[in-house]
Amino acid sequence: MINPHTRHYLAIWYWLMGLVILSVLASFILPKTQALILIFAAAVVKALLVARNYMHLKNEKPIIYAMALVPLALILIFLFALFPDFVYHSTRP
Amino acid sequence: MTGAEVPPGKYGTWWFLSSEIPVFGGLIISYIVFRLGGTSWHEASSHLNFNIALINTFLLLTSSMTIVMAHGATEEKDFRKVGSFLGATIILGLGFLAMKAVEYTIEFKAGFLPSSGIFWSFYYGMTGLHALHVLAGIIVNTVLWIQARTGTLRHHSHRVELAGLYWHLVDIIWIFLFPLLYLA
Repeated sequence: MINPHTRHYLAIWYWLMGLVILSVLASFILPKTQALILIFAAAVVKALLVARNYMHLKNEKPIIYAMALVPLALILIFLFALFPDFVYHSTRP
Repeated sequence: MTGAEVPPGKYGTWWFLSSEIPVFGGLIISYIVFRLGGTSWHEASSHLNFNIALINTFLLLTSSMTIVMAHGATEEKDFRKVGSFLGATIILGLGFLAMKAVEYTIEFKAGFLPSSGIFWSFYYGMTGLHALHVLAGIIVNTVLWIQARTGTLRHHSHRVELAGLYWHLVDIIWIFLFPLLYLA
């Protein structure tokens, strides 16, 4: 008899595997730009599935959300701060 | 575990995990910036072994499920099951490292070294640092597995949750490394 927690964790695992298969198929079938969008969207969904369900973030206090999200926000600021560099100097080896 | 019951060490573990995000995030963002500006990176990445990386993705995602099941088993106070799931997580982690070692060997034999170019420096830097994190997780999980086998884990079973949080972060990092290096 599978308990509800185990069934839930298994369901998440099936979703993760499905998204991996989707990403791999996209990389072979779709044009490059569309494939990249789908692949990285799938990666974000996979990360959210793991964080919310396996790390139990969906039941956590705001302080724990803050500890996870503040460094992520800093990383995104870092990325956008560097955008002009590769937009205007785009010829590196 | 609800938000109202915070086990000892949980805030500390999250604080540690949040300090890991800039480490890997900085590497990943730098990689993206260089790759978008580079011209020969796609050719370099085509030499990577996609099949091994796909197997490793399967191993790591599955190990995330087994460790969260170990955590679930601690709430049921079934420490035999905790030991079994921790053992499965350790084996899957060792499988990941073994496959990574095979992949590195193939690449070294083909002449692709960390000094072979900036793509390879990033590749070995990011995957090597990630592999070290997997190794650290395996060591922690092995200590917990021994404690589960000897019965001492029942006095501090919350440590399985903390070890699981770390392991899931390692899994999430791979979730992004796999498409960045092997699919993009």
